Amino acid sequence: MTTTELGAAGATAPAAPIGTDDPGPLPAPGTPSIRRSVRLTLAIAIIRRIIGMIVVLWAAVTAAFLAIYATPGNTADLILGTSQKSPEAEAAVTAQWHLNRSVLTQYLHYVAGVLHGDFGTSYQLNAPVSRVIFSQLGSTVELAVGGALVAIVLALLLSITTAGRPWPSKIANAIELIVVSLPEFWLAILLVFGVSFHLGWFPVAGAYGFSSLVLPSLALGLGIFGMLSQLLRGGIERSLDEPYSLSVRARGVSNLQLRLRHSLRHAALPVVQLTGYVVGGLLGGAVIVEQVFSRPGIGQITLSAVGSKDLPVVLGVALLGAFAYVAVNTIVDVLALVIDPRLRFTTKRS
Amino acid sequence: MNHFRKIHRRRSTWAAVAALPLALMLAACSSSSASDKGSGTPGAGSPASGSSSAGTPISGGSLTYGAETEPATLNPQLNGQDKARITLRNAYDNLFSVTASGKVEAWLASGYKVSPDQKTYTITLRQGVTFWDGEPFNAAAVVKNIDEVLNPKYDAFGAAGPFSNVKNVSADGDYTVVFTLKNVYSPFLITLANLPIISPDSYSKADVKAGGPDIVGTGPFILQSYTRGQDVVFVKNPKYNWAPATAAHTGPAYLDKVTIRFLPEASVRTGALASGQVDVIEGIPGTSAAQFKNSSKYSYITALNTGTPYSLYFNTTYGPTQDIRVREAFRDAVDLNAIISSVYAGQRTRAWSAVSPEDPHFYDKSLENSYGNNVAEANKLLDEAGWTGPRKGGIRTNAQGQTLTIQEYQDKTYVRDSRDVLLQAIQAQLKQNVGIDFNVQEVDDGTASQHQSKNTYGTYDNSNTDPDGVDISYHWLPTNAGGFINLSQVKDPQLTQWLHAAQSTDDLAVRTKNYDQLQQYVIGTKAYSFPLYEPADQIAAASYVHGLGFRSYFQMPESEYDVWTSKH
Repeated sequence: MTTTELGAAGATAPAAPIGTDDPGPLPAPGTPSIRRSVRLTLAIAIIRRIIGMIVVLWAAVTAAFLAIYATPGNTADLILGTSQKSPEAEAAVTAQWHLNRSVLTQYLHYVAGVLHGDFGTSYQLNAPVSRVIFSQLGSTVELAVGGALVAIVLALLLSITTAGRPWPSKIANAIELIVVSLPEFWLAILLVFGVSFHLGWFPVAGAYGFSSLVLPSLALGLGIFGMLSQLLRGGIERSLDEPYSLSVRARGVSNLQLRLRHSLRHAALPVVQLTGYVVGGLLGGAVIVEQVFSRPGIGQITLSAVGSKDLPVVLGVALLGAFAYVAVNTIVDVLALVIDPRLRFTTKRS
Repeated sequence: MNHFRKIHRRRSTWAAVAALPLALMLAACSSSSASDKGSGTPGAGSPASGSSSAGTPISGGSLTYGAETEPATLNPQLNGQDKARITLRNAYDNLFSVTASGKVEAWLASGYKVSPDQKTYTITLRQGVTFWDGEPFNAAAVVKNIDEVLNPKYDAFGAAGPFSNVKNVSADGDYTVVFTLKNVYSPFLITLANLPIISPDSYSKADVKAGGPDIVGTGPFILQSYTRGQDVVFVKNPKYNWAPATAAHTGPAYLDKVTIRFLPEASVRTGALASGQVDVIEGIPGTSAAQFKNSSKYSYITALNTGTPYSLYFNTTYGPTQDIRVREAFRDAVDLNAIISSVYAGQRTRAWSAVSPEDPHFYDKSLENSYGNNVAEANKLLDEAGWTGPRKGGIRTNAQGQTLTIQEYQDKTYVRDSRDVLLQAIQAQLKQNVGIDFNVQEVDDGTASQHQSKNTYGTYDNSNTDPDGVDISYHWLPTNAGGFINLSQVKDPQLTQWLHAAQSTDDLAVRTKNYDQLQQYVIGTKAYSFPLYEPADQIAAASYVHGLGFRSYFQMPESEYDVWTSKH
């Protein structure tokens, strides 16, 4: 949605047009010809989105495949470990996983398997990749959602209450800068030692329900909260300075109502556009947080799979990550339409 | 069976390092009530023994155990990680148990007979044993297990390892199994005693290689569930009535439920025990031992590993270490006692020979203090070897201008127990004392493995735990004839002759003589390897946990069969 432009209805919106092209005169929305063209545009958009998704998935798998092949070491050696390299054992392992095929054959074989819904078997864990990943997905999703909730709730609270107020705003700014600058693993260790070991409020490890999710979610969410809160407060402050804020106030709307109903909406748009980045941060951070809290999850299996050249697992995770990326971006585009009515009346030009 | 120290995947140490200041701070706060009533055996190197077992054992209750290593596979026959056995021994029994002095005793087998030519072993099985799913344990089950271990499609290493000495295995009636060997192989009984037995049905399960609840054993606990990255849960096997002769009691286990939680970070394990979130932990860094040793609220026990100590193997076919004078100078240049004492806060034992001091027969005590810590001699040797050119950055050079650099690629997958710090301390002394550039690089598994295959390393670090001389043959037979970890790349017919002589007799005196000659040769005469320290296991537990201990002979933490908890 980067080449959006304002239609006839949007032209009356208070803010400046977001698009740069001059759309020229357009018929008023609601006429039959426009409805047909909107449907066509929608169909084209969906097809483009699907083709784009396939390209992204293919590129992710291919890049991960090449990257793993570029790392040093012979896969059969790594499966056997330092001390079991007898010629017989190497031959058996090579035959079992078809490691003597050429790289191209292995690659085509893998892609053909994926097209049939077969993601292969982990060399190290001897279990189907789909099962390995899905057994771990739940706890990573829990953690990511927990972290996102921490980040969003705290960011909303702090930005709405402090925006435009000189001293609270400065204090909030300091807090945000501190949590943004703290490395995730250091924060996680502080929480482990302070809150879990010393105070004994929450358990340190595992995924045993809500209580074991609190500390990892905080460790993951606080850094993102700092960034979101900065953005939101800036946006709210800018919006409070706009003339329409003055006119809303003149209607007798309370300060909080103004911030919730009007300013937040303006401030939220750039934040929503950053969601892709936030999701990346959540997934990347989960790798570290899962390690420190000894939580099951995708991060743990990915780390060990990369270290041991466990190609099927690495490729499976790459596919999952690419899919998540595409899905999130689609949702973000839809959300942007919900938040900014101006975007709903645009047509897309290629 | 691939029971090498294919050491567990050690996660990064950065978290532990970062946590150190905090850990010290908290330890300082919480040890104010410390007393000297620790009930464990004091210090590393003391013999394995159970933790305090005061009072009459009580049945019931559950236990949470914080373990360092998550098994790569839960199939006990395919898992090569020693430390995975802490988990898997709860569910899978062996044919024999072995006493501390190396005597083979009954377990799932009730007895054995060896033919006069030592090539036929007749094993009698205990009757009335069943797998958890009700399948009977009998001769057919044992034969099926051995057949599968020798099948490369099931166990890639099995057919190449010690079981390759088996020519034929067959059932003679329901409770007798007859093994015929290709040649006399004296470690055979110990090898057999260390093989976990699974039910014949298990081999046809889809999960056979990954292991899990579908892989059925006869053990005192039933493997109930596994959550990867988190825990394995065991429940009591109420029918269990075939404890090994080495156990402290008979009948079912005391505990109703055992949860093994995987906590790869050492600081998290010690913190989890100190804050009461787990009851027992294993794998305690030297610097954290005092916290548990000196407190009446905990027991702390430790036992040395079996097998070959953690050692550096000098490459005799590549680089400066081809010259024996360089190898000797390397060992003479460092004060290893002081380094080990400071790196491990006095909690680890220095190694001198190719065998653990724990070995009841083959440890060669005469090597103790026979080499090392002689800087003047080291410098003299290096001068003689021609490393007399102008120094570059403190490093010796030779007439061709090459620096005296010895490459060590430390595989970070296997780095644990501060072994990175240990090698760095050696590196510093070598440079300072004699001008050797011991270039230690911590690398990924693939890079280390590549340097091993391409033979482009100066030293290689390794420890392994196979007992009964099997470890020695892996290190010193030629690489293409069973020397899977012959990291010094030595091809010496003299070594092969000693090893074959030791393995083809059951006369302990002859075996000991051959192994001693070999150890004196590879460490004393030729300086092929530099033994550093003997790896050990540590267990710390809350004081209400009783009956913890180590396996006799094989060492390593024992299962939770004898463990019980008093009121707490």
